Amino acid sequence: MSFLAETEAMIAAWHGIAPPNAAARVMAADLVATIRAFEAVRGQMRFEDEPASFEAALQETKE
Amino acid sequence: MSEPCDLGLVEAADAVARREVTSAALLESCLARLDAVNPKINAAIWVDREGARAAAAAADAALASGTRASGTRANGTQAGGALAGKLFGVPLAHKDMYYQAGKPCTCGSAIRRDFVPDYTCTVVERLGAAGAYSFAGLNMAEFAQNPTGHNRAFGHCHNPWGLDHITGGSSSGSGALVASGGTFASLGSDTGGSIRLPASACGVTGIKPTQTRVSRYGVMPLSFSADNVGPLARSARDCARVLSVIAGHDPRDPTSAANPVPDYEAALDGDLRGQRIGVPTNAFVLGADPAVLAAFEAALAVLAARGASIVRLELPLMPAIAAYGGVVSRVEGATIHARWMRERPQDYAVHLSGRMYPGFAVPGTYYVEALARRGPILKAFAAEVFAKVDLLATPTIPTALPTLAETDIDAAEASGPAETIARFLAVSVNTRPFNYLGLPAVSLPCGFDGNGLPVGLQLAGRPFAEARVLKVADGYQRETDWHRRKPAGI
Repeated sequence: MSFLAETEAMIAAWHGIAPPNAAARVMAADLVATIRAFEAVRGQMRFEDEPASFEAALQETKE
Repeated sequence: MSEPCDLGLVEAADAVARREVTSAALLESCLARLDAVNPKINAAIWVDREGARAAAAAADAALASGTRASGTRANGTQAGGALAGKLFGVPLAHKDMYYQAGKPCTCGSAIRRDFVPDYTCTVVERLGAAGAYSFAGLNMAEFAQNPTGHNRAFGHCHNPWGLDHITGGSSSGSGALVASGGTFASLGSDTGGSIRLPASACGVTGIKPTQTRVSRYGVMPLSFSADNVGPLARSARDCARVLSVIAGHDPRDPTSAANPVPDYEAALDGDLRGQRIGVPTNAFVLGADPAVLAAFEAALAVLAARGASIVRLELPLMPAIAAYGGVVSRVEGATIHARWMRERPQDYAVHLSGRMYPGFAVPGTYYVEALARRGPILKAFAAEVFAKVDLLATPTIPTALPTLAETDIDAAEASGPAETIARFLAVSVNTRPFNYLGLPAVSLPCGFDGNGLPVGLQLAGRPFAEARVLKVADGYQRETDWHRRKPAGI
């Protein structure tokens, strides 16, 4: 089963949504790029397991 | 010939305060311009002439009776606080996603064509408390989800500088009508560039504030983590006035920050000496259009001539910012629209349903990872970058502005949309990173591309550095006239 077919089946099973058009299929197939992007940054960050708050970071780094 | 609607927002508000022009004259001028340009640019979805004329009459009556000083709103009710009157008697038109009790709010979608909210969002209330009133709901990308201005439900918005070209989105009508002189300013929203892109494409100024700086209560959501409210106007000074009115904590939006709101206008002193402007070397300019790059470099030269230092630097963490940023808004948008995607997918444009569909397949672990790392990435980015520079400068849109046809995914559906999708997504490549980082960023006009379409300069700063961002933008606009140029031929 291709990545796209697996993705379509998963979305149908979990959300009850079918691909609405060809553009949806093109962009769903491009999730491979998202996976590659996550793989590329995996393990590169020292804060891998630390708790974090974005709002606190905004305040900590503010002007 | 210059008309009242060609004034800047601050000029218009100050002229009303000095009784040099009436609110009614401003409104009628804006309506006349809107009527003249809208058949060509399709910037307005609805116009409330009767309500606006009543508000203008109330404002002029209050001025005549001298009650403005006590804070009389343009609609005749009393408003308290120091902000009363900053926009007194000024008519404004906003992106059609700001809830106003009893007025339409289509969100640019057929699904919400008949939606009339029964309450008013905080930002429009604050503009009202400052004396402004609304007269129209402006065209926008369907549910604020495209960077181009395409809209199947209400018709595409057209760029007043070149009607075949995109306006940028999603605040398409805001950019097009501010540029055309039909409104002095307009609230837009920005989740991936939706204020800065139309500001750039239409040759106006627009600022996305720091995440949490402005209340989102009563504003159509797209992505709770990345949505921002901010103004498009004709200058940094005009944006500063609007932002001074709308920023600040709102108890009805618990995500809004409690940080004090500075007087953004007071910071506009024109002095750029000592400002360190960072120019990325590993992102934002790679592969940019030569004419866009030329305009960008010329803008940097202007900033340098006024005393800023230009620092070329490599930005850290850009692959992570791109990877994580793309996941957050995609998943949140899909979540918000899941019910309609299930029950009435045919009521979405192809480009919108197609773009939301993959969001349903992103694993929860990816989404949580992207959110969990947002704070640490911001801290690491800020520590490295803002130790060296005060602001970052980039082109807002790195490519020559495409046409509506070149980026029309719906029209390309039958023939295979991959190439069109790539052009469509490329429009917002330079704006999206600052949404994930939550940083304030302004776009202001700095020239024209090879086709005569506006080019935007993007300036981004630390969290809550809106005053500095606007100060540098204003300093640039004191030296240049790109923001004063008007599109001809409409």
